[in-house]
Amino acid sequence: MTRRVLALASGRIAAAVLAAIAVLALFGPLLAPHDPLATGDHPLAGASGAHWLGTDYLGRDVLSRLLDGSRVSVLGSLEVAFTALAVGAVPGILSVHLGRVFEWVTLRLADTLVALPFLLFAVAVVALLGNGLTQAMLVTGALVSPLFYRVARAATLAVARSPYVEAAIVSGASTGWIVRRHVWAKVLPPIAVALAQTVGVGFVIVSSLTFLGIGVQPPAPTWGGLLASDLGYLGHQPWAPLAPALLIMVTVWACNLLADAVRDVSGEAGRALTGRPGARPDQRSETAPAPSGGV
Amino acid sequence: MPPLSEKLLTGTAKAERAERAQEKTPKATEAARTAGAGPASPSGPPSPVLALRDVRIGDRAGGREIVHGVSLTLTPGSAVGIVGESGSGKTLTCRAALGILPAPFEVTGGSVEIDGHDIAGLFPARWTDLRGATISAVFQDPASYLNPSIRVGAQIAEVVRVKQGRSRRAARRRAVELLRSVQLRDPELVSSQYPHELSGGMLQRVLIAVAIAAGPRILIADEATTALDVTVQAEILDLLADLRERTGLALVVVSHDLAVVAQLCDEVLVMRHGEVVEQGSAEDVLHHPRHEYTRLLIAEHEQYGLEKFRTPEEDA
Amino acid sequence: MTTTEAPAPYGVPLPAVAARTRHTLGRVLAALARSAAIFVPVFLVATFVTFALRSLSGLSPARIQLGEEATPEAVARVEAQWGLDRPFLVQYGDWFGDVLHGRLGTSWTNGADISTLIGLGLAVSLSVAAFALLIGVVAGFALGTVAALRRTTWVDRAITGFVTVISVMPAFVVGIVLVTVFSVGLHLFPSAGYVPAEQGLGPWLAHITLPAVALSFDVVADVARQLRGSLVGAYRENYVTGAVVRGLSPRRIFFGHVLRNGLGPALATLGLKFPALVGASVVTEWIFGLQGFGRFANDSAQAGDVPAVQGVLVVSIVLVVAFNLLVDLVLARVTPASRRGV
Repeated sequence: MTRRVLALASGRIAAAVLAAIAVLALFGPLLAPHDPLATGDHPLAGASGAHWLGTDYLGRDVLSRLLDGSRVSVLGSLEVAFTALAVGAVPGILSVHLGRVFEWVTLRLADTLVALPFLLFAVAVVALLGNGLTQAMLVTGALVSPLFYRVARAATLAVARSPYVEAAIVSGASTGWIVRRHVWAKVLPPIAVALAQTVGVGFVIVSSLTFLGIGVQPPAPTWGGLLASDLGYLGHQPWAPLAPALLIMVTVWACNLLADAVRDVSGEAGRALTGRPGARPDQRSETAPAPSGGV
Repeated sequence: MPPLSEKLLTGTAKAERAERAQEKTPKATEAARTAGAGPASPSGPPSPVLALRDVRIGDRAGGREIVHGVSLTLTPGSAVGIVGESGSGKTLTCRAALGILPAPFEVTGGSVEIDGHDIAGLFPARWTDLRGATISAVFQDPASYLNPSIRVGAQIAEVVRVKQGRSRRAARRRAVELLRSVQLRDPELVSSQYPHELSGGMLQRVLIAVAIAAGPRILIADEATTALDVTVQAEILDLLADLRERTGLALVVVSHDLAVVAQLCDEVLVMRHGEVVEQGSAEDVLHHPRHEYTRLLIAEHEQYGLEKFRTPEEDA
Repeated sequence: MTTTEAPAPYGVPLPAVAARTRHTLGRVLAALARSAAIFVPVFLVATFVTFALRSLSGLSPARIQLGEEATPEAVARVEAQWGLDRPFLVQYGDWFGDVLHGRLGTSWTNGADISTLIGLGLAVSLSVAAFALLIGVVAGFALGTVAALRRTTWVDRAITGFVTVISVMPAFVVGIVLVTVFSVGLHLFPSAGYVPAEQGLGPWLAHITLPAVALSFDVVADVARQLRGSLVGAYRENYVTGAVVRGLSPRRIFFGHVLRNGLGPALATLGLKFPALVGASVVTEWIFGLQGFGRFANDSAQAGDVPAVQGVLVVSIVLVVAFNLLVDLVLARVTPASRRGV
């Protein structure tokens, strides 16, 4: 599947952008030309040879702060995606196989979670349970998990209703064997699509929370925090939000692009399972559209 | 056991129709190329309501020709059948006559005339006027051709209102009348139902009612009875024959099933791979098939055509 | 034709009267019942989780009122005042009973009535959210429809590209850009604050326009995308061919048939978009200095004011549920076919 995704131009672009972001996350602090926390004598300076992206209101190097802050965003969004996967996919697959009670309970739970405004909950939970980004991401992951639940469930249902699985059941195969042997291959592509989408959602959430100053203590640089501090000095530096804003947008866009590319190579099945585009009204309860960029 | 072709014919193809089938009209020059038999004309030569002359259909993108010249002439009250396996080009030919060829296909040669108007130069608005009021169609899978979220009666009334300029209330009344005229029991109830609440046979009747709502002169029935079970299929065919006799509706009946076409039509075209392999009066084609493929179709019927046992009243 | 009169073709054995009643009132009731069946459990689970937050957080009004240095006795006394020494389920029962009566308790920080505080904030937030929805629906509708009608042309590609761009712009990024350009740069709109509609429609609109636009981008993108997809899908359906063959005009086919069926998914998207709108208000109200619901949520959460946060969450759930009910009702009216699969 990886090779076919990379065969698409969109897949290559998305992969390249995300790889670049990953490099920033891994080596950003090492690449930073200045100490991101060191204050300087020239606050709110424009771009120059020494400070490519200028300085902030305390004279700190913006480029260094961006590079240093990338790790928080990347880790946070991955945390969201994989929490959601862990919380959502397994019950989604099992809901088809473990009987009606489990199915009913998990379906209602998924309905519940999807109805909650998750940024509001993330803010609430983080503030009450301790000011850490990890908690926020775990909570957000749990709230986004219905996406994986539905995707996994829809794929499993499609497989479970197909004749070869019936044949396997009739011939006495165990539930575990059926899941491993038949369900997995069908579930994987839509899960990959959902993962790419949730990483994008995670980016927006991390940025929103750090923008509000939740989850990370003040001097530490974050993309959202950079935007928040720029907000106070728009009169002096109207272009300052451009760099962090573009970085966030390009990353989210690359995630969506990758999701589309995976969907394209996995064909109609993947398309149908992830809802968009053209989900019919009568399938509303089974295929919720993926949460896109916004929160 | 008498030959199948006789049994197929005796159902509805009345003796008079067989008699007039041999006449030739001067317009059928292209038709002579294949079978030599012209279209039927009941008394005198009335002007044809639909005339296809050497219609060719091609794939715009690939430059491939799919249908290699079909000619037929349809006079008021007559019925022409097109028989062939799937992919033989019969449906594309119908769609060309309706002006609804799907995207990559287009008419690449020949001409289609509806009621004397060549369709090549028609503006979209003129097409809108012509469809429904002059030429109409019913298809296989009737459920999909009705809007799933609008009540059946309202869909018929819409056509009546738009095409005939009647008032809302008059259109509603007319819709119920139309449903009754296609022999639906309790037309009031049906009129207030949604398509998914009706059975396949009822839906095909509804679709016919919608198709004839604006009083067209031509009705194209493209595999209209294919998905229905045999008894319902026979009822629908009777209904079409009845409409033809009562209102002078001219029919184009397209089917892969020779029996369906034979039951309704005066003239038959046999198509294969986009080619008309045989064309002539229904009787001729069934009794004296000239082309290998036609013989094969008839032979298959005699071998597998169980319909004749299920509908004993067809046996004369 | 001996079998002609067999009852087989009649798939619906109901009497005519019953069937007709089912169509009118029944449709609405069924939609309501179905929505209620989904949302009552949603509400119960969500409020329980919400209430459990206090126990999990270990926060106490005593901390806020007495400070970190309070003696255990004093803490116990304050907690007893708030009724926090009772068993958890009893507290939940009382709280839930109050919630059902619209009482959300009093704030730990200032003892004010939370229902009143939230009510004040909601006036602001709902103004903005309603305006955002309006912009989102109108613009999304226009873009989606034009793209679908001009599908596969450059117009379609341009719209799709534009929609892709705005779909990856988070509300707070849009908000900052709007403030920079329209308030700081062009001085067209006030950059912060709120004026109630009673003090003049003009100032009210001026204050809510930028935040509403910021919130609406996401809605515009989703509605446009969904509508384009479902309209293009609807145009491929046979019933469109059927309508063409019946001689209906392209205009009539679009408004009477295609739109009717294509609208459902876009409306459903709107229902799913609403929670996101409520969530994003936390950020946009911060940017635009609006003392709304989202700002109240953020402030209470950061202050550790547990009852206030619980109140916020309960109200947000009620909002989401109410909005979804509304969408379901409209859906049931527009497309009765939507009931088939359920």
